[in-house]
Amino acid sequence: MQYKDFVKWSRWPTTWCGGCAIGIVFKQVIFSLERMGLAQNELTVVSGIGCSGRAAGYFNVDSVHVTHGRALPVAEGIKRGNPHLKVLVFSGDGDLVGIGGNHLIHTARRNVDLTVICINNQTYGMTGGQMAPTTLKGTKTLTSPHGNRYHPLNIQGLITSNHNYFYARSSAYHINHLQKVIREAFAWPGFAFIEVVAYCIENFGRRLGYRFGYEMLLKIKGIYKINRSPKERLKENELGVLIK
Amino acid sequence: MKQLIMGNEAVARGALRAGLGFFAAYPITPASEIMHYLAEKEGEIEFVHAEDEIASIHMAIGASLAGLKAMTSTSGPGMSLKQEGIGLAQMMEVPLVVVDVQRVGPSTGMPTLPSQGDVLQAKHGSHGDYLALVFYPASVEECYRYTIEAFNAAEESRSPVILLLDGFLAHLSETVDLRRIRFSLKKRSLAPLGTGNRHFTGLLSKEGIPNTDDSQYYRQWYARVKNKMLSVADKYAFYEYWKNPQATTLLIAFGITARVIRPLKDRYAIFRPIRLFPVLAGPLKEIAAPYQRVVVVEMSDGQYAGEVQRVLQREVISLPVLGGEIHLQEIKEALNAI
Ligand SMILES: Cc1ncc(C[n+]2csc(CCOP(=O)(O)OP(=O)(O)O)c2C)c(N)n1
Repeated sequence: MQYKDFVKWSRWPTTWCGGCAIGIVFKQVIFSLERMGLAQNELTVVSGIGCSGRAAGYFNVDSVHVTHGRALPVAEGIKRGNPHLKVLVFSGDGDLVGIGGNHLIHTARRNVDLTVICINNQTYGMTGGQMAPTTLKGTKTLTSPHGNRYHPLNIQGLITSNHNYFYARSSAYHINHLQKVIREAFAWPGFAFIEVVAYCIENFGRRLGYRFGYEMLLKIKGIYKINRSPKERLKENELGVLIK
Repeated sequence: MKQLIMGNEAVARGALRAGLGFFAAYPITPASEIMHYLAEKEGEIEFVHAEDEIASIHMAIGASLAGLKAMTSTSGPGMSLKQEGIGLAQMMEVPLVVVDVQRVGPSTGMPTLPSQGDVLQAKHGSHGDYLALVFYPASVEECYRYTIEAFNAAEESRSPVILLLDGFLAHLSETVDLRRIRFSLKKRSLAPLGTGNRHFTGLLSKEGIPNTDDSQYYRQWYARVKNKMLSVADKYAFYEYWKNPQATTLLIAFGITARVIRPLKDRYAIFRPIRLFPVLAGPLKEIAAPYQRVVVVEMSDGQYAGEVQRVLQREVISLPVLGGEIHLQEIKEALNAI
C-alpha cells in the first residue's frame, strides 16, 4: 500500500486546527507504514480521547477510539486476542500519561508487544489547554494561571525503569528521525514507546505568546539535538532511542 | 457424573463451555474464585490479572474486537469502576460478559457479606441512555447455564451482558451434573479487527464516521439500539413462577433471596425473574394481575421493587433484607406484619 492508501480520506478534513503538530506526526506514521510494506489487514490503530486521540479514525484500517486513558488496555486486549496484528496506539500525553498513567506503568511492565506514539504537547489540547502531567514548571495554563507549581513527569525514567524497554524521544520537527524511530519501534518485539515532542498552538501556544504553529516548531528545532548513541539516559534536550 | 461445585466455579466453567477465549480481572472477594479457576487455564485461554477493573474490562473489549469471546468478573467496588467500559461496549456494540458478585456497599462496605445492592448499577450504572441485559441465577447449576446464556445474549445483542450473583450464591457448593445441562451456542457475531477499515468509537457515529451534533440522528440511532436490545431480550425471557390460587400475595425475589423464600410457596405465589433487565414486563403484568398484593423481597432497600412498581403501575411493597444476613423466619414475620 502507498502512504496515501493508509489515509481514510472520507474523514477529511481532520478536526485538527491549522498549525497543529499532530498532523505532521500522523503523516510520518503513514510514510513509515508504506516503507514497512504493511497491508491493510495487518494493522489496527487504537486511540484514547483528545485531539491526538482522533488519529485512529483517520487511518484506513480497522481502528478503535476508546474512552479517555484506556487506549493501552484495549490495545493489549486486541494484541492478546490476535497476536498476528500489529497494534499501534496513537494518543496524547494527557491520555496516556495522565489519566491512563496506571495502565502505562503496567502495560510497559508486562512488555506487551505494542507500538505507542505519544503526542507530548505539554497540555490538554482538546479541553481548552489545561496543564498536563507533562507541562513544564512555571507554565501558565487554564488550570495553572499563576504558573504550574509542579515538575513534569519523567516519562523516560518511568519506561526505562522496566526490565526490558524501548523508549524513544523524537519530535514533530525532526521528521526523518521520527520515521526511523517509528520503524524501529514497530520492529521491536515488545512494548515500544515513542514520546513525540509536539505542540498545540491554539489552546496552549497562544497563551504563551506564540502567534503561529511554526514558531513553536522552530523552538523545538532550536532546543533539541539528536543523540545517535545515547548511554543510559537522554538529556532533557536530546532525542534518541534507549533499548534494553 | 455429579460433582460438588461452587457457584463461582460454575460461572468459570460455563464461560469455558461457551467458548471463552479471553478473561481479565482484578481480585476481589467474593468474585475471586472465578479468576482463580480461569488462571489455571492460562494457555488454553488468554488470562490477565490486570492492574485494575478499568483495565480488565477494556482489555476484554479489545479482545472481543479482536475476535475472542471475552469476560471479566468483579464485585461492587470493581463494578463501579467497570461502568466506563460498560458504556463504551454499549456504544461500540461489543459483545462481552461482565460478572458482578454483589457484596454490601456502598464503597468497601461490609467485605464480604452478600447483598443485592448492585441491581440498579447493573441496569444503569454508566452514564447516558442504554438498555442492559442482566441475568441473575439462583443455583450452582444455573450459574453454569446462565453464564452460557449470557455469552449467547452478548453475541446476539452485541452488548456487554451482565451476570449478577450474590456472595451467597457465588460461594454456595452444590452437587450438579453439568453434562446434563442442554443449551445451544451462538457463534461470534462480529468480524474481528484486521478485516477491513471500520472505525469503532465511543462517539455517536454513522457508518463509522462520528456524527456528534445531529439530534435527529441520535434519536434514530437510539431507537435502533433500543429495538435491538428489546428484541434480543425477548429470546431470553427467563423466569420461574410458582402459582398459588389460594394466595392473595405475590412475592417477587431473585438469586439467593428467591431460594430462601421458596418454602413459602404454600402460602404465597412466587415470581422469580432470572432476566432482571429489561424487566420482564409482559409476564410480570399477567402474573401479578390476580394478586391483591405484590411484595418484592430483596437484599437492597427496594431497588428492584421500584422497577416492578414502575412496570406494574400499582403499589408494590418493598421488603428489604439488609446488612448481609438473610433468615426465613425474619422474612416470615415481616410478611405477617404487612
Ligand atoms: C473520563 C474523561 N474525563 C475527561 C474528559 C475530557 N477530556 C477530553 S480530551 C481531554 C484531554 C486530552 O489531552 P491529551 O491526551 O493531552 O490530548 P490532546 O488533546 O492534547 O491531543 C480531556 C480531559 C473525557 N473525555 N473523559
